[in-house]
Amino acid sequence: MPDLWAGLPPVAQDVAVAALLALPGLLVGFAVLRGFAPWRLVRAMLWRFRWANLVFVLLIAVSVAVGVGLTAQERGLRQGSARAAERFDLVLGAPGSELTLTLAAVFLQPTDVPLLTGAQYAEVAADPDVALATPIAFGDSFEGAPVIGTTAPFVEHLAGRLAEGRLFATPSEAVAGAFAPVGPGDRFSPAHGQGEGAGEHAHHGSDYAVVGRMRPTGSPWDRAILVPVEGVWRVHGLADGHAPEAHDDQDHAHDDESTRIGPPFDPAHFPGTPAILVRADEVWANYALRSRYTRADMMAVFPGTVLAQLHGLLRDVREAMSLLAVVTQGLVAVAVLAGLVLLARLLARSLALLRAIGAPRRFVLAVVWSYSAALILTGAALGLLLGWFAAAALSRIITQRTEVLVTAGLGWGEIQQVCVFASLALALALVPAALAGLRSPLRDLRS
Amino acid sequence: MTGPEPPDLLVEDLVLTGAGGRRLLEIPRLAVPAGGTLALQGPSGAGKSSLLHVLAGLIRPDRGRVAWGGTDLAALSDERRTRFRGDRIGLVFQDFLLFEELGSLDNAALAESFAPRAARATIRAGAKGWLGRLGLGADPERPVASRSGGERQRVAVARALARGAPVLLADEPTASLDRANADRLAEDLVRLGAGGGRTLVVATHDPALARRMGRVLTLAGGRVVEDTDA
Ligand SMILES: Nc1ncnc2c1ncn2[C@@H]1O[C@H](COP(=O)(O)OP(=O)(O)O)[C@@H](O)[C@H]1O
Ligand SMILES: [Mg+2]
Repeated sequence: MPDLWAGLPPVAQDVAVAALLALPGLLVGFAVLRGFAPWRLVRAMLWRFRWANLVFVLLIAVSVAVGVGLTAQERGLRQGSARAAERFDLVLGAPGSELTLTLAAVFLQPTDVPLLTGAQYAEVAADPDVALATPIAFGDSFEGAPVIGTTAPFVEHLAGRLAEGRLFATPSEAVAGAFAPVGPGDRFSPAHGQGEGAGEHAHHGSDYAVVGRMRPTGSPWDRAILVPVEGVWRVHGLADGHAPEAHDDQDHAHDDESTRIGPPFDPAHFPGTPAILVRADEVWANYALRSRYTRADMMAVFPGTVLAQLHGLLRDVREAMSLLAVVTQGLVAVAVLAGLVLLARLLARSLALLRAIGAPRRFVLAVVWSYSAALILTGAALGLLLGWFAAAALSRIITQRTEVLVTAGLGWGEIQQVCVFASLALALALVPAALAGLRSPLRDLRS
Repeated sequence: MTGPEPPDLLVEDLVLTGAGGRRLLEIPRLAVPAGGTLALQGPSGAGKSSLLHVLAGLIRPDRGRVAWGGTDLAALSDERRTRFRGDRIGLVFQDFLLFEELGSLDNAALAESFAPRAARATIRAGAKGWLGRLGLGADPERPVASRSGGERQRVAVARALARGAPVLLADEPTASLDRANADRLAEDLVRLGAGGGRTLVVATHDPALARRMGRVLTLAGGRVVEDTDA
């Protein structure tokens, strides 16, 4: 049996679990309704109290939506941030906070982090286990978009083939992120700093020509403008990572500027970089590299691991909130069913009439239960949709604010959650139904 | 109308007490042969409705027999009485007790929602037939909310007869109607309700309706004080 279960495709397992959770409610419904056709009657009664019913349905829907929205949103955040960090296998930086380095290198959050030296970079780049070592230099911006110094291979590593144009080939060319405020053909001058404190015109006169645009990555890099790291250094008046060349037969636009970009860099002319992205070809090598470069003068961080810790925290918070949502759902269910007891009183004459024309008690129970079931199921379905829309809207706002692509969809977890709620509520709905069924028809006919 | 055979009614030694042990009904003997028509008269509070409820099996008397044919309702459980009522007894009330949101036919065929599946089509056909005979056949789907009082009460009569009940009990059926409609309904009750060998018992203040019945019982304080054959 366990083998059979494990052999099922995940979707089949999810459907099976949802069906199992819905089963108590379905069984109650089957037992209550067997042999009866109360729907025409129930529709009439629902219509009679349509405004009260609307309130009941909305109450249920909102309480269900809170639970559904929380889990959908948490999963969306987790998946979105994990996707944004996917291409960042291992990040090296000066010792400090792992979280700060991850936020700075992966999510481009402006922070002041100490620099790694040219010698350190050269050591890493020369490591035989390292397939790609790219300096990532941040700190500049243009119209709020971060301007990041890096290398051409990293651009391709990050986003694959370009959407348009070509990679940068000189220190004064740039590749725009998918949603950057500039595009191929534009020129721009970066400002020093990022965010609020970015000083305009700080780097006046040093402009870049945009020559290409990346495909979307679902990360904050989509708003960034990527330039050769040499450009960043030069804009800040630093050495550009390469030894001044012996003037050979090449033509130079400017005598004092090399047009070389990308590795290898000359340690002696390497001004420093806040972070190095490292990729190994083998997964195991990433672990070896992490322990190798976790040392006194350097730290090595798996952004995925840092995120996993954050996700754990996120889940704890979400679980605490979900507990509140479940309590709310329980309270709403009880309140609605108490309301239905009162509503059944208002329907008492109609129900008594049914008994007078020969309906058994179980039919009265079936009518009141169906009435409740209609409210519960409508509310639960509406709540599922409402939770989904709320999570989707919130995700859109988060995506706009952070550029981390967050998409919150409905998963089986949410559907199962709603199945549990509906199942329990349908079982609980037997209480007002039974109370209505037990009333003496005579008393209600007399009034 | 292929309902069950009309049963004779025999009430013996009936005692019904209300709250505080007050006697609501005390009837030593009442026999109504199958197909008979009976009016229950008397002042308000005389026990007319109570007697109808006992005859319908809605209340079990404290003592005595209420036998329809061979079945003593006083000896049956609540569920058995309900089933018997569904099969044999049609009830009509002063204030119609219709579902205002439903059409006339849906009201008249209300019993199909709890009847066995096999019986549903028969009930609907019966309801339709009775609506037709009662002059409402032209627009059976029309919501009862848009009908006059007289028409509503006729829908209620169709509901009472849709299953071919051999007994029709009506509690002040004309009391909510104007004179013309009351006369029309009285006419329908006698001609159609009491037709086909059906037993008809009406509790009424309306002398015009009572006059049409074969026998008039006058109640006071829960006892029969006058019993006249027409
Ligand atoms: N729900 C009730 N419970 C107990 N006694 C009632 C109830 N309704 C009416 N009664 C009493 O039963 C007696 C008979 O009433 P009823 O059968 O309704 O008379 P009628 O139909 O002739 O006016 C009255 O004294 C009345 O007060
Ligand atoms: Mg009365």
